[in-house]
Amino acid sequence: MNSRRGGGLLGTFLRRGGRWPGKLLWLLTLTGWLLPTAPTAAADPLVYRLKWLQNSSTVGDLYADVQGFFAARGLTVEVKPGGPERDAIKELELGHAQFGVASADQVIRAAAKGAPVVVIAQIFQVNPLQWIYRASRPPLETLADLEGLIIGITYGGNDEMIMRTVLAKAGLDERRVTLMSVRYDFTPFYRRRADLWPIYRNSQGIVIADRMARAGEPVRFFNPTDFGVRFVANSVVTHQRLLDDQPDLVHRFREALLEGWRAALAEENEQRALTIIARFDPDTPPDLMARQLRVTRELVRPTADFPVGRLDVAAWRQTEEIMHRQGLIPRPVNVVSRLHGPAPP
Amino acid sequence: MRPLGAVLTLTGISRYKNNKLMQISCDDIALALVGAETPIFAALNFNLKGPGFHALFGPSGVGKTTLARLLIGQMRPDSGGIRIDGCPRRLYAYNLERLPGWSSVGRHLEKITPASQRPRCAELAAAFGIEPVLGQRFARLSLGQKNRVNLIRYLVQDFELLIMDESLANVDERTRGRIITTIKTLFPDRFFLYISHNAIEVARFCRQVLVLRGAHREPQALTVPGLDGNGEAAPPPAMEKALLTIMNAI
Amino acid sequence: MLARRIYQFLIVYAVGLALLLGLKYLAGLSDYVIPGPPLIWQTFHEVYGRYTADTLNTFSVAVFGQVISIGLATGIGILGRQATWFGNFVKVAAYNVQAYPIVALAPIIFILLGDGFITRLVIAAMICYFPLLLVVLGVMGEPVTEIEHFYRITGRMRWQLEVKIRAFENLHKLTTVVAGSATLAMAGTIVAEFIAANAGIGYSIRIALYQSDLGKILIALFLIGICLSVYQALLEWAGAQVHRRWETIDGGAA
Repeated sequence: MNSRRGGGLLGTFLRRGGRWPGKLLWLLTLTGWLLPTAPTAAADPLVYRLKWLQNSSTVGDLYADVQGFFAARGLTVEVKPGGPERDAIKELELGHAQFGVASADQVIRAAAKGAPVVVIAQIFQVNPLQWIYRASRPPLETLADLEGLIIGITYGGNDEMIMRTVLAKAGLDERRVTLMSVRYDFTPFYRRRADLWPIYRNSQGIVIADRMARAGEPVRFFNPTDFGVRFVANSVVTHQRLLDDQPDLVHRFREALLEGWRAALAEENEQRALTIIARFDPDTPPDLMARQLRVTRELVRPTADFPVGRLDVAAWRQTEEIMHRQGLIPRPVNVVSRLHGPAPP
Repeated sequence: MRPLGAVLTLTGISRYKNNKLMQISCDDIALALVGAETPIFAALNFNLKGPGFHALFGPSGVGKTTLARLLIGQMRPDSGGIRIDGCPRRLYAYNLERLPGWSSVGRHLEKITPASQRPRCAELAAAFGIEPVLGQRFARLSLGQKNRVNLIRYLVQDFELLIMDESLANVDERTRGRIITTIKTLFPDRFFLYISHNAIEVARFCRQVLVLRGAHREPQALTVPGLDGNGEAAPPPAMEKALLTIMNAI
Repeated sequence: MLARRIYQFLIVYAVGLALLLGLKYLAGLSDYVIPGPPLIWQTFHEVYGRYTADTLNTFSVAVFGQVISIGLATGIGILGRQATWFGNFVKVAAYNVQAYPIVALAPIIFILLGDGFITRLVIAAMICYFPLLLVVLGVMGEPVTEIEHFYRITGRMRWQLEVKIRAFENLHKLTTVVAGSATLAMAGTIVAEFIAANAGIGYSIRIALYQSDLGKILIALFLIGICLSVYQALLEWAGAQVHRRWETIDGGAA
């Protein structure tokens, strides 16, 4: 490359790309396309990015959308499914979404890196992330019962965080248990190469339990919450700037969403809720979907009169503490200061 | 396509060597190349008797190389017969051939020369003027040097018939003369068919000249005598007569 | 050659990083979306040892897979070069099977064979096998008439000589596809690890994605790029050595 002149595409463009005003226009257009969009005006359509696919775990989100709860409050909301490549917090910052669903560890990591994210509601009061094991084993009644077992974890995932906290609480290090890396399939568990396998209690947990029951192998679930390890799961987040500039908009959104969740979980609306889920999740059999909905109800609304969406401040504190202790954040972030939703009295 | 290469029978060699009964006969050969509008041969008949240094002569595109390929079995005529007596081992050399590039010319010649022919190989290298380049790679040689090297490696093989298709292209006239004379001196009992465009050369050095005239002519081929010279200058009248005979035959 | 490869990569990497940082500061994005230079540097210090080991792990699998693939492609390519039933079958099969995205089959391979070294090796070998095979088939199936004619007509032709002639005449093509398959093997191994393995830099990238840590991903990409640049320079050098060796010393089967 000639050292006196810039090389490569940019250099070629600058030398040969026509007159300067034209080049400048091109560069600005390109930059503008990459830059995040401007803050939302009140009448603009809102994007609500979920954490995962649309299924029974997102029944309240779908119910609020289809039943017109957003529209009743003057909001036009597009509910978009999430996925492994989607990060709602990043989309908030880039302006591609105005509201999103993120887990507590995502929120705390983002806060540790200065992301302007705030939490406006907590959907799951009980973390659906649990471990499945065969009922032929003695039940896990104390944490010490984990000793000697082969436990599946997703390295880098929040189940790793939770299990390490559980093991630390039990005083068990990796010489006394075996941690096995989890992929996307359950073959190692089916083949008895692992004793415990992480699942989502309200989705895969039901499917696997069914399959194993048909094979004559009933199962049980290990729930870290039962042993005092409370790791907050999915919560609703938004951008700090939107909360500051348009608090009314945020309030209306949250109220519509939580109303949707309450209605979706009401027993008398179960059939309608299942119909709505089936529209977005046609591949799940109806009876399985119904059972998934009922488990989701228990995890989101532990008691009949529980205020859906309430922020469990103590659990948030514990989650942050777990992450700090495991070195996942360099210093505490005071995540409680980012909680802006219904809290315990 | 008939298999390439020479078919060798020991009894055949001794009989033919002793009898020196070598001839090439073509009887009513017809051949149309794929995609051509007109046949290249139609009722081609000739008889060439060997041994000796003979020529295959004719204008460009008349079918000299095609005939050569027919004679060695690389192609088959559409009809008619080819008979070759006394030449069980037939070779065909052409001027676009190359040697592999991983060894020098000298090393290559060493590898492909039968042990009994090593002295002959050295003699040919000196006579053909390629001794200075034996240590070089084939790709670095001039076109004339390449053609000479290629010819030498055929001459040191076992054969009764060698067809040389423009094998002395890009070689200067004096050297060509010396090469042809050397071949005739060293290989008097072999049958050579020399394809050339040079009427003076074929008239001067060749015993018989098979002139191809084209499928539209009758007869399609004529065999005329050459001077069969050995390097000495031919008397001008004889030379003139031979040339005229050849040119009139076209 | 090595220096040129490395500084070419560094230029590309630096331009990419500059674009990211430009976007970060223009849009005022936090370190969570695009990490700033201090965080990138800090992350580098935290993970470079582990990621270097992971990269070399992946690289060794990729190279091993590539070597197997070269051997297999050479063998099958030589066998399949002729216009026989087997030769035609090999050609048709190679053209058709190469269309299957191997990384889409990777999960099935992991389920059947587990997520150990052998599975990653199989995927790495399969990823670069078909392009290699097609080139070898093309080279070995194309006669070099000007050279082969003498050996055929004098009855000296052997299959080893035929292979040697065709390989030598197409050395540049062969060394180019070998160098290209190196990148393919590395990329394929990384993707396979990303999907379903429990070791290697692809696996580390997957974890970094779970953690939404772009800083770690940038470090991983940097190490992968350096590793590949060095390897490709080595392959180019080796190719040049082969050329030079065949051109400067006497010897050969002919």
